[in-house]
Amino acid sequence: MSHAAFLLPAWLFAIGLYGVITSRHFVHLIGCLTVIQSSTYVLLLAVGYRTDAAAPIFANLPIGTPAVDPVVQALVLTDIVVGATVTALLLALALQVHKRTGTLDPHELRPLRR
Amino acid sequence: MTPLQIGLFLLAALSGGAVVLTREPRRQAVAMGFNGLVLALLFMVLQAPDVAYSEIAINSVILPVLFLVALAAARINNRRREIDRP
Amino acid sequence: MTSLRTIIAAFLCAIALGLASAGLYGLPAFGHYPGPYGDIINRQGPAERHATNMVTLVNFDYRGFDTLGEEFILFAAVIGAVVLLREHRGEEASARPDQADEAPIPERSEAVAFGCRLALGITALFGIYVVLHAQLTPGGGFQGGAIVGSATALLYLGLGYPAWRGMMRSRVLDTAEAAGALAFIGAGLAAIGAGAPFLTNLLPLGTTGSIVSAGVIPLLNIAVGIAVAAGFGTLFLEYLEETREPESGGEQ
Repeated sequence: MSHAAFLLPAWLFAIGLYGVITSRHFVHLIGCLTVIQSSTYVLLLAVGYRTDAAAPIFANLPIGTPAVDPVVQALVLTDIVVGATVTALLLALALQVHKRTGTLDPHELRPLRR
Repeated sequence: MTPLQIGLFLLAALSGGAVVLTREPRRQAVAMGFNGLVLALLFMVLQAPDVAYSEIAINSVILPVLFLVALAAARINNRRREIDRP
Repeated sequence: MTSLRTIIAAFLCAIALGLASAGLYGLPAFGHYPGPYGDIINRQGPAERHATNMVTLVNFDYRGFDTLGEEFILFAAVIGAVVLLREHRGEEASARPDQADEAPIPERSEAVAFGCRLALGITALFGIYVVLHAQLTPGGGFQGGAIVGSATALLYLGLGYPAWRGMMRSRVLDTAEAAGALAFIGAGLAAIGAGAPFLTNLLPLGTTGSIVSAGVIPLLNIAVGIAVAAGFGTLFLEYLEETREPESGGEQ
Protein backbone atom coordinates (compact mmCIF):
# COMPACT_ATOMS: atom_id res chain seq x y z
CA MET A 1 0.00 0.00 0.00
CA SER A 2 2.85 2.37 0.79
CA HIS A 3 4.02 1.97 -2.80
CA ALA A 4 0.70 3.19 -4.24
CA ALA A 5 2.17 6.67 -4.78
CA PHE A 6 4.55 5.24 -7.39
CA LEU A 7 1.57 4.25 -9.53
CA LEU A 8 1.16 7.91 -10.52
CA PRO A 9 4.51 8.23 -12.34
CA ALA A 10 3.95 4.81 -13.95
CA TRP A 11 0.46 5.90 -15.08
CA LEU A 12 1.67 9.28 -16.41
CA PHE A 13 4.46 7.51 -18.31
CA ALA A 14 2.10 4.93 -19.83
CA ILE A 15 -0.66 7.36 -20.80
CA GLY A 16 1.90 9.81 -22.24
CA LEU A 17 3.44 7.00 -24.28
CA TYR A 18 -0.01 6.00 -25.52
CA GLY A 19 -0.60 9.61 -26.59
CA VAL A 20 2.72 9.77 -28.43
CA ILE A 21 1.99 6.54 -30.34
CA THR A 22 -1.57 7.39 -31.32
CA SER A 23 -1.17 11.14 -31.87
CA ARG A 24 -2.21 12.51 -35.27
CA HIS A 25 -0.83 16.01 -34.73
CA PHE A 26 2.78 16.96 -33.97
CA VAL A 27 1.84 19.73 -31.55
CA HIS A 28 -0.42 17.33 -29.65
CA LEU A 29 2.41 14.79 -29.66
CA ILE A 30 4.78 17.31 -28.03
CA GLY A 31 2.09 17.98 -25.40
CA CYS A 32 2.04 14.24 -24.65
CA LEU A 33 5.83 14.31 -24.28
CA THR A 34 5.47 16.93 -21.53
CA VAL A 35 3.23 14.47 -19.67
CA ILE A 36 5.95 11.79 -19.88
CA GLN A 37 8.42 14.38 -18.61
CA SER A 38 6.17 15.22 -15.67
CA SER A 39 6.15 11.53 -14.69
CA THR A 40 9.90 11.75 -13.99
CA TYR A 41 9.35 14.82 -11.82
CA VAL A 42 6.70 13.10 -9.73
CA LEU A 43 8.84 9.98 -9.40
CA LEU A 44 11.94 11.84 -8.23
CA LEU A 45 10.03 13.92 -5.71
CA ALA A 46 8.15 10.85 -4.42
CA VAL A 47 11.48 9.04 -3.88
CA GLY A 48 12.89 11.95 -1.89
CA TYR A 49 9.76 12.44 0.23
CA ARG A 50 9.73 11.64 3.92
CA THR A 51 6.52 11.49 5.92
CA ASP A 52 5.97 14.44 8.26
CA ALA A 53 9.28 16.06 7.30
CA ALA A 54 9.68 19.75 6.46
CA ALA A 55 10.81 21.36 3.22
CA PRO A 56 14.63 21.62 3.09
CA ILE A 57 14.60 25.35 3.79
CA PHE A 58 15.94 26.38 7.17
CA ALA A 59 15.03 30.07 7.09
CA ASN A 60 12.61 29.62 9.99
CA LEU A 61 13.45 26.08 11.05
CA PRO A 62 16.14 24.99 13.50
CA ILE A 63 18.91 23.01 11.80
CA GLY A 64 18.44 19.31 12.41
CA THR A 65 14.67 19.32 11.81
CA PRO A 66 13.83 16.28 9.67
CA ALA A 67 13.53 17.46 6.09
CA VAL A 68 12.94 15.89 2.69
CA ASP A 69 15.78 15.27 0.22
CA PRO A 70 16.96 18.54 -1.41
CA VAL A 71 19.04 16.79 -4.11
CA VAL A 72 16.12 15.38 -6.10
CA GLN A 73 14.35 18.74 -5.85
CA ALA A 74 17.41 20.48 -7.29
CA LEU A 75 17.47 18.00 -10.19
CA VAL A 76 13.77 18.43 -10.93
CA LEU A 77 13.57 22.21 -10.76
CA THR A 78 16.37 22.82 -13.26
CA ASP A 79 14.96 20.14 -15.54
CA ILE A 80 11.50 21.76 -15.65
CA VAL A 81 12.97 25.04 -16.89
CA VAL A 82 15.48 23.45 -19.28
CA GLY A 83 12.83 20.98 -20.51
CA ALA A 84 10.57 23.89 -21.48
CA THR A 85 13.21 25.34 -23.80
CA VAL A 86 13.77 21.89 -25.34
CA THR A 87 9.99 21.69 -25.87
CA ALA A 88 10.20 25.05 -27.64
CA LEU A 89 12.93 23.58 -29.86
CA LEU A 90 10.64 20.64 -30.69
CA LEU A 91 7.82 23.05 -31.56
CA ALA A 92 10.20 24.90 -33.88
CA LEU A 93 11.02 21.58 -35.56
CA ALA A 94 7.30 20.86 -35.95
CA LEU A 95 6.81 24.28 -37.56
CA GLN A 96 9.69 23.54 -39.94
CA VAL A 97 8.05 20.24 -40.93
CA HIS A 98 4.82 22.12 -41.52
CA LYS A 99 6.54 24.72 -43.68
CA ARG A 100 8.24 22.09 -45.81
CA THR A 101 5.45 19.54 -46.17
CA GLY A 102 2.26 21.42 -45.32
CA THR A 103 1.11 18.87 -42.78
CA LEU A 104 1.42 18.27 -39.05
CA ASP A 105 0.16 14.68 -39.19
CA PRO A 106 2.92 12.12 -38.52
CA HIS A 107 1.06 9.48 -40.57
CA GLU A 108 1.30 11.55 -43.74
CA LEU A 109 5.05 11.84 -43.37
CA ARG A 110 5.84 8.15 -43.73
CA PRO A 111 8.49 7.65 -46.40
CA LEU A 112 6.31 5.15 -48.30
CA ARG A 113 3.77 7.84 -49.09
CA ARG A 114 6.30 10.00 -50.87
CA MET B 1 -0.29 9.40 2.99
CA THR B 2 -2.61 12.18 4.06
CA PRO B 3 -6.04 12.64 2.42
CA LEU B 4 -4.75 15.84 0.77
CA GLN B 5 -1.89 13.92 -0.84
CA ILE B 6 -4.18 11.11 -2.00
CA GLY B 7 -6.58 13.63 -3.52
CA LEU B 8 -3.83 15.49 -5.36
CA PHE B 9 -2.26 12.25 -6.63
CA LEU B 10 -5.62 11.21 -8.08
CA LEU B 11 -6.25 14.66 -9.53
CA ALA B 12 -2.78 14.66 -11.13
CA ALA B 13 -3.50 11.25 -12.69
CA LEU B 14 -6.78 12.58 -14.12
CA SER B 15 -5.38 15.87 -15.41
CA GLY B 16 -2.34 14.12 -16.94
CA GLY B 17 -4.70 11.76 -18.75
CA ALA B 18 -6.80 14.72 -19.85
CA VAL B 19 -3.77 16.36 -21.50
CA VAL B 20 -3.19 13.22 -23.59
CA LEU B 21 -6.83 12.48 -24.42
CA THR B 22 -7.67 16.06 -25.43
CA ARG B 23 -6.96 15.54 -29.11
CA GLU B 24 -7.64 19.08 -30.29
CA PRO B 25 -4.29 20.90 -29.79
CA ARG B 26 -5.79 24.26 -28.80
CA ARG B 27 -7.86 22.65 -26.07
CA GLN B 28 -4.84 20.62 -25.06
CA ALA B 29 -2.99 23.85 -24.25
CA VAL B 30 -5.71 24.67 -21.71
CA ALA B 31 -5.59 21.16 -20.25
CA MET B 32 -1.82 21.53 -20.00
CA GLY B 33 -2.17 24.71 -17.99
CA PHE B 34 -4.54 23.00 -15.57
CA ASN B 35 -2.22 20.00 -15.32
CA GLY B 36 0.64 22.36 -14.42
CA LEU B 37 -1.46 23.90 -11.67
CA VAL B 38 -2.34 20.50 -10.20
CA LEU B 39 1.27 19.32 -10.35
CA ALA B 40 2.44 22.53 -8.67
CA LEU B 41 0.01 21.91 -5.81
CA LEU B 42 1.18 18.29 -5.60
CA PHE B 43 4.83 19.39 -5.43
CA MET B 44 3.89 21.88 -2.72
CA VAL B 45 2.35 19.07 -0.69
CA LEU B 46 5.47 16.94 -1.28
CA GLN B 47 7.45 19.72 0.49
CA ALA B 48 9.07 21.01 -2.69
CA PRO B 49 8.17 24.72 -2.93
CA ASP B 50 11.13 25.46 -5.23
CA VAL B 51 9.90 22.91 -7.75
CA ALA B 52 6.32 24.19 -7.45
CA TYR B 53 7.50 27.67 -8.46
CA SER B 54 9.16 26.51 -11.63
CA GLU B 55 6.30 24.11 -12.46
CA ILE B 56 3.65 26.79 -12.20
CA ALA B 57 5.62 29.41 -14.16
CA ILE B 58 6.58 26.97 -16.92
CA ASN B 59 3.73 24.50 -17.35
CA SER B 60 0.85 26.83 -16.54
CA VAL B 61 2.03 30.01 -18.26
CA ILE B 62 4.95 29.72 -20.64
CA LEU B 63 4.30 26.36 -22.33
CA PRO B 64 0.57 26.94 -23.10
CA VAL B 65 1.41 30.36 -24.56
CA LEU B 66 4.19 28.88 -26.71
CA PHE B 67 1.88 26.08 -27.91
CA LEU B 68 -0.89 28.52 -28.82
CA VAL B 69 1.48 30.83 -30.69
CA ALA B 70 3.01 27.85 -32.54
CA LEU B 71 -0.48 26.69 -33.55
CA ALA B 72 -1.36 30.18 -34.75
CA ALA B 73 1.86 30.26 -36.79
CA ALA B 74 0.98 26.89 -38.35
CA ARG B 75 -2.52 28.09 -39.32
CA ILE B 76 -1.14 31.29 -40.85
CA ASN B 77 1.39 29.20 -42.72
CA ASN B 78 -1.46 27.08 -44.11
CA ARG B 79 -3.13 30.18 -45.49
CA ARG B 80 0.10 31.44 -47.03
CA ARG B 81 0.49 28.12 -48.82
CA GLU B 82 -3.05 28.35 -50.14
CA ILE B 83 -2.43 31.87 -51.45
CA ASP B 84 0.86 30.81 -53.04
CA ARG B 85 -0.73 27.86 -54.78
CA PRO B 86 -1.88 28.93 -58.25
CA MET C 1 -6.87 0.52 -39.50
CA THR C 2 -6.79 3.39 -37.04
CA SER C 3 -8.74 1.48 -34.42
CA LEU C 4 -6.40 -1.51 -34.71
CA ARG C 5 -3.48 0.83 -34.22
CA THR C 6 -5.14 2.32 -31.14
CA ILE C 7 -5.82 -1.12 -29.68
CA ILE C 8 -2.22 -2.23 -30.20
CA ALA C 9 -0.96 1.04 -28.67
CA ALA C 10 -3.25 0.65 -25.65
CA PHE C 11 -2.10 -2.94 -25.19
CA LEU C 12 1.59 -2.01 -25.38
CA CYS C 13 1.13 0.89 -22.98
CA ALA C 14 -0.73 -1.36 -20.52
CA ILE C 15 2.34 -3.64 -20.61
CA ALA C 16 4.57 -0.59 -20.06
CA LEU C 17 2.39 0.44 -17.12
CA GLY C 18 2.65 -3.04 -15.60
CA LEU C 19 6.42 -3.23 -16.05
CA ALA C 20 6.99 0.30 -14.72
CA SER C 21 4.79 -0.40 -11.68
CA ALA C 22 6.57 -3.67 -10.98
CA GLY C 23 9.95 -1.96 -11.30
CA LEU C 24 8.98 0.96 -9.07
CA TYR C 25 7.69 -1.48 -6.46
CA GLY C 26 11.33 -2.26 -5.65
CA LEU C 27 11.96 1.27 -4.41
CA PRO C 28 11.88 2.19 -0.72
CA ALA C 29 8.28 2.81 0.37
CA PHE C 30 6.78 6.26 -0.23
CA GLY C 31 7.59 8.57 2.67
CA HIS C 32 10.65 6.56 3.73
CA TYR C 33 13.53 8.36 2.03
CA PRO C 34 16.57 6.29 3.01
CA GLY C 35 19.27 8.96 2.77
CA PRO C 36 22.02 9.63 3.58
CA TYR C 37 23.11 12.15 0.90
CA GLY C 38 20.23 14.59 1.39
CA ASP C 39 20.37 14.24 5.18
CA ILE C 40 24.06 15.12 5.26
CA ILE C 41 23.41 18.24 3.17
CA ASN C 42 20.49 19.23 5.38
CA ARG C 43 22.69 18.88 8.48
CA GLN C 44 25.95 20.36 7.19
CA GLY C 45 24.82 22.81 4.51
CA PRO C 46 23.63 25.74 6.61
CA ALA C 47 26.79 25.74 8.75
CA GLU C 48 29.19 25.19 5.85
CA ARG C 49 27.81 27.73 3.38
CA HIS C 50 25.64 30.12 5.48
CA ALA C 51 22.62 29.49 3.22
CA THR C 52 19.14 28.42 4.35
CA ASN C 53 17.65 27.09 1.09
CA MET C 54 19.27 23.68 0.63
CA VAL C 55 17.86 23.22 -2.87
CA THR C 56 19.65 26.32 -4.19
CA LEU C 57 22.74 25.26 -2.27
CA VAL C 58 22.78 21.89 -4.03
CA ASN C 59 22.12 23.50 -7.41
CA PHE C 60 24.69 26.25 -7.31
CA ASP C 61 27.37 24.92 -4.98
CA TYR C 62 27.57 21.19 -4.27
CA ARG C 63 26.36 20.27 -7.76
CA GLY C 64 27.23 23.55 -9.50
CA PHE C 65 28.98 21.83 -12.38
CA ASP C 66 25.80 19.88 -13.13
CA THR C 67 23.86 23.16 -13.25
CA LEU C 68 26.44 24.61 -15.64
CA GLY C 69 25.59 21.74 -17.99
CA GLU C 70 21.84 22.41 -17.60
CA GLU C 71 22.39 26.09 -18.29
CA PHE C 72 24.11 25.26 -21.55
CA ILE C 73 21.40 22.81 -22.60
CA LEU C 74 19.01 25.75 -22.17
CA PHE C 75 21.34 28.02 -24.12
CA ALA C 76 21.74 25.51 -26.96
CA ALA C 77 17.99 24.76 -27.12
CA VAL C 78 17.11 28.45 -27.37
CA ILE C 79 19.71 29.00 -30.09
CA GLY C 80 18.45 25.93 -31.95
CA ALA C 81 14.84 27.12 -31.84
CA VAL C 82 15.82 30.64 -32.97
CA VAL C 83 17.91 29.32 -35.88
CA LEU C 84 15.12 26.98 -37.01
CA LEU C 85 12.48 29.70 -36.85
CA ARG C 86 14.58 32.33 -38.58
CA GLU C 87 15.64 30.07 -41.42
CA HIS C 88 12.65 30.79 -43.62
CA ARG C 89 11.67 34.15 -42.28
CA GLY C 90 14.92 36.11 -42.24
CA GLU C 91 15.70 38.51 -39.42
CA GLU C 92 12.87 40.99 -39.88
CA ALA C 93 9.10 40.83 -39.94
CA SER C 94 6.55 43.62 -40.10
CA ALA C 95 4.48 44.70 -37.11
CA ARG C 96 1.18 43.86 -38.83
CA PRO C 97 -0.53 40.69 -37.62
CA ASP C 98 -1.01 38.10 -40.34
CA GLN C 99 -4.38 36.36 -40.55
CA ALA C 100 -5.18 32.68 -40.49
CA ASP C 101 -8.58 33.14 -42.15
CA GLU C 102 -10.81 35.89 -43.48
CA ALA C 103 -12.45 36.69 -40.15
CA PRO C 104 -11.28 40.04 -38.73
CA ILE C 105 -8.93 39.84 -35.73
CA PRO C 106 -10.98 40.66 -32.62
CA GLU C 107 -9.94 43.65 -30.54
CA ARG C 108 -8.21 42.98 -27.23
CA SER C 109 -10.81 43.49 -24.52
CA GLU C 110 -10.30 46.30 -22.02
CA ALA C 111 -10.55 43.91 -19.09
CA VAL C 112 -7.72 41.71 -20.42
CA ALA C 113 -5.51 44.71 -21.11
CA PHE C 114 -6.16 46.18 -17.67
CA GLY C 115 -5.68 42.88 -15.84
CA CYS C 116 -2.42 42.16 -17.66
CA ARG C 117 -1.04 45.64 -17.00
CA LEU C 118 -1.93 45.25 -13.33
CA ALA C 119 -0.31 41.81 -13.07
CA LEU C 120 2.71 42.72 -15.18
CA GLY C 121 4.59 44.83 -12.63
CA ILE C 122 3.75 42.57 -9.72
CA THR C 123 4.86 39.46 -11.61
CA ALA C 124 8.13 40.99 -12.78
CA LEU C 125 8.90 42.31 -9.29
CA PHE C 126 8.09 38.95 -7.74
CA GLY C 127 10.37 37.21 -10.22
CA ILE C 128 13.26 39.53 -9.34
CA TYR C 129 12.56 38.99 -5.63
CA VAL C 130 12.66 35.23 -6.14
CA VAL C 131 16.04 35.49 -7.92
CA LEU C 132 17.56 37.73 -5.27
CA HIS C 133 16.44 35.61 -2.31
CA ALA C 134 17.66 32.38 -3.87
CA GLN C 135 19.81 31.20 -0.97
CA LEU C 136 17.29 32.19 1.73
CA THR C 137 13.72 31.28 0.79
CA PRO C 138 12.18 29.05 -1.91
CA GLY C 139 13.23 30.23 -5.32
CA GLY C 140 16.35 30.85 -7.36
CA GLY C 141 17.64 31.85 -10.74
CA PHE C 142 15.74 29.24 -12.73
CA GLN C 143 12.35 29.88 -11.14
CA GLY C 144 12.75 33.65 -10.96
CA GLY C 145 13.94 33.78 -14.56
CA ALA C 146 10.90 31.75 -15.65
CA ILE C 147 8.59 34.10 -13.71
CA VAL C 148 10.15 37.19 -15.32
CA GLY C 149 9.88 35.37 -18.67
CA SER C 150 6.16 34.82 -18.12
CA ALA C 151 5.85 38.53 -17.27
CA THR C 152 7.05 39.30 -20.80
CA ALA C 153 4.06 37.31 -22.10
CA LEU C 154 1.83 39.60 -20.01
CA LEU C 155 3.59 42.54 -21.61
CA TYR C 156 2.40 41.34 -25.02
CA LEU C 157 -1.13 40.59 -23.80
CA GLY C 158 -1.53 43.87 -21.93
CA LEU C 159 0.21 46.42 -24.13
CA GLY C 160 -0.13 44.90 -27.58
CA TYR C 161 2.43 43.94 -30.18
CA PRO C 162 3.93 47.36 -31.09
CA ALA C 163 4.76 48.21 -27.47
CA TRP C 164 6.13 44.72 -26.94
CA ARG C 165 8.35 44.97 -30.04
CA GLY C 166 9.60 48.33 -28.78
CA MET C 167 10.73 46.81 -25.49
CA MET C 168 11.94 43.39 -26.58
CA ARG C 169 15.05 44.14 -28.59
CA SER C 170 16.40 40.92 -29.97
CA ARG C 171 19.97 42.25 -29.73
CA VAL C 172 19.56 43.08 -26.03
CA LEU C 173 18.00 39.69 -25.28
CA ASP C 174 20.71 37.79 -27.15
CA THR C 175 23.42 39.72 -25.33
CA ALA C 176 21.74 39.20 -21.95
CA GLU C 177 21.44 35.48 -22.51
CA ALA C 178 25.04 35.09 -23.60
CA ALA C 179 26.21 37.30 -20.72
CA GLY C 180 24.33 35.17 -18.20
CA ALA C 181 25.91 31.99 -19.52
CA LEU C 182 29.35 33.61 -19.66
CA ALA C 183 29.08 34.92 -16.09
CA PHE C 184 28.51 31.36 -14.85
CA ILE C 185 31.68 30.16 -16.59
CA GLY C 186 33.51 33.29 -15.45
CA ALA C 187 32.69 32.50 -11.82
CA GLY C 188 34.02 29.00 -12.33
CA LEU C 189 37.22 30.17 -14.00
CA ALA C 190 37.77 32.84 -11.33
CA ALA C 191 38.01 30.02 -8.79
CA ILE C 192 40.63 28.31 -10.96
CA GLY C 193 42.50 31.60 -11.18
CA ALA C 194 42.59 31.73 -7.39
CA GLY C 195 44.13 28.27 -7.30
CA ALA C 196 41.03 26.26 -6.34
CA PRO C 197 39.00 23.71 -8.36
CA PHE C 198 36.44 24.97 -10.92
CA LEU C 199 33.39 26.71 -9.37
CA THR C 200 34.71 26.60 -5.79
CA ASN C 201 32.73 28.99 -3.58
CA LEU C 202 35.57 31.31 -2.55
CA LEU C 203 33.77 34.59 -1.80
CA PRO C 204 33.16 35.61 1.86
CA LEU C 205 30.16 33.72 3.21
CA GLY C 206 28.56 36.60 5.16
CA THR C 207 25.93 36.19 7.86
CA THR C 208 23.26 33.53 7.45
CA GLY C 209 19.96 35.12 6.46
CA SER C 210 21.47 38.18 4.79
CA ILE C 211 20.76 38.81 1.10
CA VAL C 212 24.50 38.86 0.34
CA SER C 213 25.34 35.68 2.23
CA ALA C 214 26.53 32.31 0.90
CA GLY C 215 29.44 33.60 -1.21
CA VAL C 216 29.13 33.23 -4.94
CA ILE C 217 25.63 31.67 -4.90
CA PRO C 218 23.63 34.94 -5.27
CA LEU C 219 25.85 36.02 -8.19
CA LEU C 220 25.36 32.71 -9.98
CA ASN C 221 21.61 32.97 -9.42
CA ILE C 222 21.48 36.45 -10.91
CA ALA C 223 23.46 35.19 -13.93
CA VAL C 224 21.11 32.23 -14.41
CA GLY C 225 18.05 34.41 -13.81
CA ILE C 226 19.12 36.82 -16.56
CA ALA C 227 19.92 33.97 -18.95
CA VAL C 228 16.60 32.17 -18.34
CA ALA C 229 14.47 35.33 -18.56
CA ALA C 230 16.25 36.43 -21.75
CA GLY C 231 15.93 32.90 -23.16
CA PHE C 232 12.16 32.81 -22.72
CA GLY C 233 11.88 36.41 -23.96
CA THR C 234 13.77 35.38 -27.10
CA LEU C 235 11.52 32.36 -27.61
CA PHE C 236 8.33 34.44 -27.27
CA LEU C 237 9.76 37.06 -29.62
CA GLU C 238 10.72 34.55 -32.31
CA TYR C 239 7.43 32.63 -32.12
CA LEU C 240 5.37 35.83 -32.25
CA GLU C 241 7.37 37.01 -35.27
CA GLU C 242 6.11 33.85 -36.98
CA THR C 243 2.56 35.22 -36.80
CA ARG C 244 3.42 38.55 -38.44
CA GLU C 245 3.18 39.43 -42.11
CA PRO C 246 6.54 39.10 -43.86
CA GLU C 247 8.25 42.48 -44.40
CA SER C 248 8.61 42.28 -48.15
CA GLY C 249 5.91 39.66 -48.59
CA GLY C 250 4.17 39.92 -51.96
CA GLU C 251 1.34 37.58 -51.04
CA GLN C 252 -1.31 40.15 -50.24
